[in-house]
This record gives sequence, structure tokens and C-alpha cells, in this order.
Amino acid sequence: MYNIVSLIFKYVFIVIIYLFILSIIRLIYLDIRGIDTTALDNTTYLKLINRKDSLPFKVEEYYALKDVIRLGRANNNEIIIRDPYVSKNHLKLVKDEGDYYLEDLNSANGTYVNGNRIMDVVRLKNGDRIRVGQVEFLYVNRE
Amino acid sequence: MFKKRINYKVPRNLLVLFELLALFLIFAHDKDNFNRNTLILGMALISIIYISSFILLRISTGDNYIFLIVTMLISIGIIMIYRIDPELGMKQIIWTGIGILLFFISYFIIKSIKGWKNWTLLYGGASIALFLITFIFGSRIKGSLNWIIIGKFSFQPTEIIKILLIFLLASYYANYEKYKKVKYGSYCLIGTLYLFIAFLFVQKDLGTVILFYFVFSAIQFIYEENRRLILYNTLFFLISGLIGYFMFSHVRVRFETWLNPWIYIDNKGYQITQSLFAIAAGGFFGTGIGLGYPDFIPEVHTDFIFSAICEEMGIFTGIGLIMLFLILVYRGFKIALSQDEKFFKIVALGISILFGIQSFIIFGGVLKMIPLTGITIPFVSYGGSSMLASFIALGILQVASEDLNLEEIEHE
Repeated sequence: MYNIVSLIFKYVFIVIIYLFILSIIRLIYLDIRGIDTTALDNTTYLKLINRKDSLPFKVEEYYALKDVIRLGRANNNEIIIRDPYVSKNHLKLVKDEGDYYLEDLNSANGTYVNGNRIMDVVRLKNGDRIRVGQVEFLYVNRE
Repeated sequence: MFKKRINYKVPRNLLVLFELLALFLIFAHDKDNFNRNTLILGMALISIIYISSFILLRISTGDNYIFLIVTMLISIGIIMIYRIDPELGMKQIIWTGIGILLFFISYFIIKSIKGWKNWTLLYGGASIALFLITFIFGSRIKGSLNWIIIGKFSFQPTEIIKILLIFLLASYYANYEKYKKVKYGSYCLIGTLYLFIAFLFVQKDLGTVILFYFVFSAIQFIYEENRRLILYNTLFFLISGLIGYFMFSHVRVRFETWLNPWIYIDNKGYQITQSLFAIAAGGFFGTGIGLGYPDFIPEVHTDFIFSAICEEMGIFTGIGLIMLFLILVYRGFKIALSQDEKFFKIVALGISILFGIQSFIIFGGVLKMIPLTGITIPFVSYGGSSMLASFIALGILQVASEDLNLEEIEHE
């Protein structure tokens, strides 16, 4: 009796172990794919141009843009960058009729779009380079 | 998000199913005189593992896979140990319970205390102190002088020194800019390491010698800027290995039994040949649990558990075990890559190398791919101190998988 149970169970055990490994690998796969696709959706996002490991503070590779996005060093911003050259409330991105407008919030070191320091509100075009402190972003609009 | 939640349950439930079936198998085996303690302890373990992985998902923002992988390894190990010797199996269940507790304790301690990277000298000093304690109070069990016996308990200090070594290396290379300016800074580190290796060699603990050397070399290879030191290190190891081969008989025995164990089958090659017989007898699907003869192999519950698993659960389970270690080490490297703080990056790297090399040495040794050195498979083999140390290492890895940088800045 026991022999028969044991003989059946050895196949069951192997199947369970492999299902377990498969499900873990699948989860890890979803995890990795999840990182890559968030940026590749048909949305608007900021892409980091600097090499991530060259910056001594935490920056994401991609920031997806919502209707209003504020960037700065303080915690109440959507995009928090701990760069000492970034002001507490540095800039604001506002969506209006499908376009994004960049507004500098009187930052100490200013915001540069394609190398020009901006004074008031600027409409962003696909491929604009936004420099804030030591960080440079690429503005990508895929809509 | 919702879909993801459901997916996390799949491996967890498979694990519970696996453990319940194993418990049922024990029940089917001893149906006449069933031991109630087995049932209670078994159910306790299953619920502890289930609840722990559930809690971990809540309290930790880091990796969710390493704990699951490890609990699967433990389940396979406990089933096999219980089959070989029910009493040891019960002990192993208790050790696992304590281990999971230690996992959470080390997780909270490592996370709450800041400044781990500043205590380089402490790690070195503590390791040397532990070695000296082993020499003074240690007892020789099975040829190796690496056990300390206090009352009923015995433990191996080398298991703790492994973790201290990783901390030592990580704190050294995390403060590399500072130590680089000290004259012969890196030479001091190499000197300390060779002191450890010399201690281990005198203790005749060859497996741990190789383990320490590989962990050190890997981290040195990644972080040392003076590349010439890596060459010196390799050369020194080769030469001292050769000298060790000719001077010490216990090193030579390992090599002879590796090259051709069959002519020594009646004495020193007995263990490895029995291991090979056992793996061959199992075939692809194994003989079935309880139907093989793993008892023929000496030390089957610790070093040779892999052969017993291959015999009774099949080479497919053996391959599964290796794959589990593969994804565990992969996760460890992934954690190291995404960690921003350098100290924990190196610690995560060191721990994953430790798990990887340790399992590689013993899998390779048991399969006669490399010379055999007695060492435990982390989480699978029977052994209290090995289990506890592995769980502490896992707790540290869990901390390293979290985003530590963000929290530190919020204190400003």
C-alpha cells in the first residue's frame, strides 16, 4: 500500500517542484517586463539622459507625466530629486489640451530647455532637453 | 496590481500543497503507530512558513521571492532528513522555526541600526576572536576542529565568521576611498583574509577555506582598483594550494578519491562511490521516498543529502534543487544591482556569492565533478548552526533588497 502511494507521490512531487520554479520565474519575468513597459506605453514621459550611476542621489530612469507634475527637492513634489542644485519647489509641468507647459517656480539655479534658461512658461515639444541642476531629462510625447 | 496579488499566491499555495502531501505520505507510512508530535510539528511548520511569507509581503517593500525559494529548499530538505532519521527531522523542523524567527530579528536589527559600514575593525576583530575561542574551547568532531560545545548544544563559529567576513569586505570596499590612502591598506585586508584561511586550514575545514577564498576573490575582483593584487592573490592561492597538497595528507586524500575513487572503494573512497551508486540507482524519477537505500552513504543527512534526494526523488528533483539555487543567486545579484548604497550592494553580492559557491562546492563534490570537501548545502542539509547562519544571511539580503537611500534622507 505505502509503496504504491510513494510511487505516485514521487511524480507528484516533481511536478509540484517544477510548477513552483515556473511560477517564480514567471513572476520574476513579469517584474522585469513591468519595469521596461511603463515607459514604452503611449504616454508622455521624462527620460533621464545622465547615466543613472553617475549621480550621487536617487533618480528614476523614467517619469510618467500626469496632468500636473511638480519637481523639486522637497517631499511634497511628485518628482523628488535630492540634488543640492535643485530648489525645494523647482518647476511645474501642466497639461493643457494635449500639450505640456513647463513653468519655473522661481528656482535659484533656473531651468534650461535646450540650453536656454526659461523665464516664464514654455510649451514643450517632443525631444526637448530639460536641465534641472545636474540632471538632464528628455521630454518624450508619444500621443 | 490586483492581478499581481493573485499571482503571488500561486507559489505559496504550491508550497503548502507540497508540504501537506509530504505530511500525508508520512501518515501513510506510519498509519499503525502514528506519532502525534510529528503531525503537530509538521502543521506548525507549514503554518509558520505560510504566515511568514504573508507577513513579509506586508512589512517589506523589497524582494518577495527569496524567502519563497528558500522555504521550498527547506521543505525538500526536511522531507529527506525526516525520511533518513525521524528524530533529526524533528530537530530540523525546530531549527527552521528558530531560523525564521532569527530571519525577522536580523531583518529588523540590520534595518534599524545605521552605520554598519563604519565598523571594519570590529568585524575583523570579532572574527579573529571567534577563531581563537574555537581553538581554545573547540572540540574535534569528525576530523574538523570547528565545534564549540556548550552543554547540550554545539555550534560552528565558522558559520558566523562567514557573515562577519562579508561585512568586513563590504565595509572595507564601501570606505575604499578612505582606506586607499592608508599605506598597504589592501595588503592588510589580504593579510587578514589569509590569516582566516590559515586558521581554517589548521582546523582541517577545507570546504570553508575554498568558500572564504572565492567570496573574497569575487569581491576583490569587482572592487579592487589595484588590479595587480588580484594576480598576487591568485598566484598565492595556487602556490599555497600546491604546498598544501604535498605537505598535508588530508588534502591529498581528497584529490586521490576525486581522480579515482574506485580503487579505494573499501576505505577512503567508500563515501563518494556510495553517493554515485545512490544517484545512479535513482534514475530520472527516483525510487520513491522510503523505497531507496540512502543509509548506505555515511553522513547522508548533512553533506550527502543531495545524493539521497537524487536517489529517492529522482535526478529531476536534483536538477530542480540546482535551479532553485540558480534563481536564488540570480535574485541576489539583481538585489545587488538595484541597491544604491554601496555597503549593502557589496553585502548582497557577497551573500549571493556565498550561497552560490557553497551549493556549487557540495553539488560538484557529491557528483564527483570537483574534489569533495565537506560543507553543508545552505537550507537543505541538516545542521542547526548552518541553518541559523543562512537565515541571518537571508535576513540581511532582505534588508539589502529595499530602498535604503530614500529613508535615510527623510531623517534630515
